[in-house]
Amino acid sequence: MATAEAKVPAHPTLAEANRDITRPIAMPDKRFYLVLGVAAAGLALMFGAWFYQIGAGIGVAGITHPVFWGVYITTFVFWVGIAHSGTLISAILYLFRSGWRTTINRTAEAMTIFAVMTAGLFPLIHLGRVWYFYYLMPYPSQRQIWPDFRSPLVMDVFAVSTYLTISALFWYTGLIPDFAILRDRAKGWMYKIYGAFSLGWQGTVSEWRHYRRIYLYMAGIATPLVLSVHSVVSWDFALSIVPGWHSTIFAPYFVAGAIFSGVALVITIMIPLRWAFGLEAYITENHFENMAKLVLLTSLIVGFSYGTEFFLAYYSADPIEIESFRWRAMGAYALPFWVMVFCNVVVPQALWFKKVRTSLPALFALTIFVNIGMWYERFVIIVTSLAHEYEPGGWGLYTPSWVEMSILVGSFCWFFFWFLLFSRSLPVISIAEVKEHLAHEHSHAEHGDGGDGHE
Amino acid sequence: MSSGVLGQYDTLHGTLDAIARLRDAGHRDIEVFSPIPSPEIEEAMDIHSSPVRVWALTGAITGCTLGVLLTAGTSLAYPLVTQGKPLVSLPPFVVFMFELTVLLTGIFGLVALLVHTRRPVINLDPAYRTSFSVDRWGIFVPVNGEGHAAAEALVRETAAVDVEVQG
Repeated sequence: MATAEAKVPAHPTLAEANRDITRPIAMPDKRFYLVLGVAAAGLALMFGAWFYQIGAGIGVAGITHPVFWGVYITTFVFWVGIAHSGTLISAILYLFRSGWRTTINRTAEAMTIFAVMTAGLFPLIHLGRVWYFYYLMPYPSQRQIWPDFRSPLVMDVFAVSTYLTISALFWYTGLIPDFAILRDRAKGWMYKIYGAFSLGWQGTVSEWRHYRRIYLYMAGIATPLVLSVHSVVSWDFALSIVPGWHSTIFAPYFVAGAIFSGVALVITIMIPLRWAFGLEAYITENHFENMAKLVLLTSLIVGFSYGTEFFLAYYSADPIEIESFRWRAMGAYALPFWVMVFCNVVVPQALWFKKVRTSLPALFALTIFVNIGMWYERFVIIVTSLAHEYEPGGWGLYTPSWVEMSILVGSFCWFFFWFLLFSRSLPVISIAEVKEHLAHEHSHAEHGDGGDGHE
Repeated sequence: MSSGVLGQYDTLHGTLDAIARLRDAGHRDIEVFSPIPSPEIEEAMDIHSSPVRVWALTGAITGCTLGVLLTAGTSLAYPLVTQGKPLVSLPPFVVFMFELTVLLTGIFGLVALLVHTRRPVINLDPAYRTSFSVDRWGIFVPVNGEGHAAAEALVRETAAVDVEVQG
């Protein structure tokens, strides 16, 4: 197993890049199985609680009048938000030709796919009678009734499923040359598996020519898709007339929040991954500092949005809206609200200091705060708005049940279970892209220094 | 591609130089293997575009059309006014048109990649070497009938670190 002690060259050659990045793909050790076992136990907890809910009925969840959207929808929005980092980093930075994306895009894209897979479970769990999920799909039924295409909930089905499909295609397309690398170093049945996924890739000029074009087009279409998905998710709320939800700023506010939490989780995951796999030469402090700047920027946007929400409520002169926001900050759910503000607005201000941006332990801790804060943000938006709508007679409080909390905890295990399997079966860094970067670096060095230019 | 001369190179610069020499010598049907995507090689081989863009555009148009048919078509097929909006309400329908446009652009794009690269294949090209996925570039010069010696001599004149004659 690759460990933190693995020797890593400061300026790797192409062969060394192949070796270093593929090194973790080997027979895992006990530590890996231990962590995987913990994730599997969490999965068992989640599915146990879900099956109990299916058997006993949705009443075992804490959601009831007036709060019918609780932890399940909160967690759905949280994971969709997490899913934004991958395609953002990969597609947008690819279009801008940002060289620093090459070592983090593969992991970020994997996070996207696993996060969407996690998010996609929650509407199904929330349905209660999960076997009716196909009502959301447009299919020619005997009664000729189709989904209501004016409903944001149906938009959500299309947006999230399109996002999952395109993210998976984008990820797979980027992986094809790396599958060929794995195939060429594998033996036996692994050779056949990697060979099948590589589609017979040989790196001919014709293959690279079409590959580069289609990768560019996919990045081009994925970029507006990233922005659309969380906008559509925000319209699940904003297109209603619930005070606290009916706001025109929701789309950009949600997109900024999604990027904020997504990039934060990339940092949280990349720091231990870099250490465990000995990838210090490829994922440098500079990468983390760039991501930290992105976290700071989106934190400022999110903080500004919190303020704007309150100002809009005040400026509307609508007593219901004003009361909704007063209660959000000072009512029964004041603690979650202030946890949200502290984690998402106050803590990230430390990133103004370069010392914090370049300190990996500090970044690790800070990004955990951000993700706690971002889960609370969705909880505050959803629950406080529903708990305190128009009529005082219709007000009520919501407390999550053990079933909901088990499924929430299990969702993290579900996410990490897939991520752990990914980290041991595929390169966590795009080898072809890193080698492209290294080849050009070496080429420049060759011409600048007049050295032998060994590749 | 079974008969010819294969040269291996350990730098991109050496590969580009060899491509230029071979093409100048009349070998325009050479196959180049590269461990990295390289626009420089495409330029050296005078390749400037890829037909996959036509596929992507076709996917986009098909997706958008499908979005219109699915939303407006089904609303008209079963007329039921909801939310006080017209049966064909463009603003919400645009979301579906957009999503399907993106979806089919991506799917058509991947299909185009497979079609134009003639993948998947089970058996790799006999000229392919595993070092081409590590740190070496390869140029295969197909030779029919006589001419192996001349082609070999030409490849050896370049910066090839290894030369093999096949067939």
